[in-house]
Amino acid sequence: MSLCEMKDLKKTYQMGEIDVDVLKGINLRIDEGEFVAIIGASGSGKTTLLNIIGCLDQATCGHYILAGKEVTELNDDELSAIRNEHIGFVFQSFYLMPYATVYENVMLPSLYAHKRKHRFEKRAGELLSIVGLADRAKFKPNQLSGGQQQRVAIARALINEPDLILADEPTGQLDSKTAGEIMNLIVELNNHGKTVIIVTHDQHIASYAKRVIEIKDGVIV
Amino acid sequence: MKKLIKITIESIKAVHAYKLRTFFCILSVALGVSSISIIVAAVEGTFKQAFDMVNKFGPDALLIIGGGEEARAFEFRAKTITVEDVEALRQSFPGAYSVMPMTFDMNVQVSYKDKKYIVRLIGATQEFTSSWAWYVTDGFDFTKADIDEQRNTCIMGSHVAKELFPQESPVGKYILIKQIPMLVIGILSSRGITPAGENLDDRVVIPITTSMRKIQNETKYVNIVRMRFYDQSKLKYYEKDVFSFFRQRHNIPQGDPDDISIISSKMIYTFLAALTGSLVMFLGTTGIISLIVAGFVLANLLLLSVNERAKEIGIRRAIGARKIDIMFQFIGESVIVTSAGGVIGYAISLAVSEFLTRAANFPIYFSYKPFFAGLSLAWIVGILAGLQPARKAADINPIEAIRK
Repeated sequence: MSLCEMKDLKKTYQMGEIDVDVLKGINLRIDEGEFVAIIGASGSGKTTLLNIIGCLDQATCGHYILAGKEVTELNDDELSAIRNEHIGFVFQSFYLMPYATVYENVMLPSLYAHKRKHRFEKRAGELLSIVGLADRAKFKPNQLSGGQQQRVAIARALINEPDLILADEPTGQLDSKTAGEIMNLIVELNNHGKTVIIVTHDQHIASYAKRVIEIKDGVIV
Repeated sequence: MKKLIKITIESIKAVHAYKLRTFFCILSVALGVSSISIIVAAVEGTFKQAFDMVNKFGPDALLIIGGGEEARAFEFRAKTITVEDVEALRQSFPGAYSVMPMTFDMNVQVSYKDKKYIVRLIGATQEFTSSWAWYVTDGFDFTKADIDEQRNTCIMGSHVAKELFPQESPVGKYILIKQIPMLVIGILSSRGITPAGENLDDRVVIPITTSMRKIQNETKYVNIVRMRFYDQSKLKYYEKDVFSFFRQRHNIPQGDPDDISIISSKMIYTFLAALTGSLVMFLGTTGIISLIVAGFVLANLLLLSVNERAKEIGIRRAIGARKIDIMFQFIGESVIVTSAGGVIGYAISLAVSEFLTRAANFPIYFSYKPFFAGLSLAWIVGILAGLQPARKAADINPIEAIRK
């Protein structure tokens, strides 16, 4: 079943007088359970595409349907709700709240959700076990290694049971051994049915994915 | 609602994380709030005291004092009210249920055995206690016979009783007033000290007839007339009528000043308002200035904090926070800081007013009002200071904020 579907999606930025076409007609369908890597050089438009898939940005024209909803027409609050419900972000620099504990960081998305809290509490514990940090729940992020911090970020991305995990260079700040561990964790998640999209410029990281999409000058090649 | 509580908890965490920068804000809000709390408490205290005093004075009473306003400055008052005037007042004002003449002598020495004490000596009729609602707690009140027969009897203020009779009961003893032995027949209940510093229990009351004949050597004049009226709401008209009554009776030409002055409950309010006014002005200015400063400092610190925490805001937006959630969080942080300032400020104001009460006998009354006045001011400052930074935070573009 299709989870994301893009039809003739275009994105144009205005730089003063000049219009810059970043995405020039993307047609893409990603089904549930897929593991897709989007690769491309910097300036190719891959980050813009990721932002649009993640509902952080909106296309200038074309259609984007996520989980059966047309996203192009939604307002800011509705986009926030979509992000909260359907998407889990994993960033290159982890982006954990420095003053909150590991457990509180994992719980953060639930803050903006409408579901009941006790379900999240139980799930946060389970997720910390899955990422192997059950004994670090009370720690602060700066007491953890980079790999451990990224595991916390992954647990955070999963807390709201999103349909889609979006990872932007998830191993960019990790050494190759830790990067391998993180990628194995992501593969594991995908094996359990999560749809995963990662954006990377690293061919080796992309090779973990089942499908690789290369983007160049705003079009899929 | 649950969501609001959860976001508030986020605010608390952030305030805790950035504790150094919040310190000065809290301090400055505390200063402002304490000033304002003291004002509210002082105003409330003044009104409560004014109300108390008016009740003791009699809300339906006028005190007519011989001598015009000018004479007051000299601590000496011309005697202008005659015994006939008092009788005429009684005839002309059927609206008055009590008309009582009084004499008054400052600084009269009284003694018992080897103990001496300076008092205010009052001459009055048997109506004294009821007219002032000031009752005898020990012994007996005057009877009509005490007045009619010019008896050498007295009732004394509780403080005088303590000074002259530290060990024994004064009732039934003779004290000397201007070398005349007077039998103490009763003790007045304690009334305490006025804000002007006058000890009300520092007086001795004797029959007005005794006072006139034996102390003042007087047959014609009294010092004071106290009148009480049935209809309290018409008091200010009665006051005017009394003035014109005396102008007419004493044939005062137009343009000349009155030869009497009148004290009414209205004057008590005026006096206390003046007393409180300067404090209110001083603290009000201080309080409002420190609150404004606190607001600006806080707003600037929050703007700084918004810039610093752009990433945090970006993340929150990415994981589904709406703009309003971000705004609420930052306004929440601001309000938490000012609330802390408010609570600390209230504590400071309690300490300061304790000092003011002890040092200056200042009427301060703390109820829930100054607390809530201070806290709501703190909230207003918090919301106003937080508004602009919060709007800025909410407008942060998450894409730019989380770009590496």
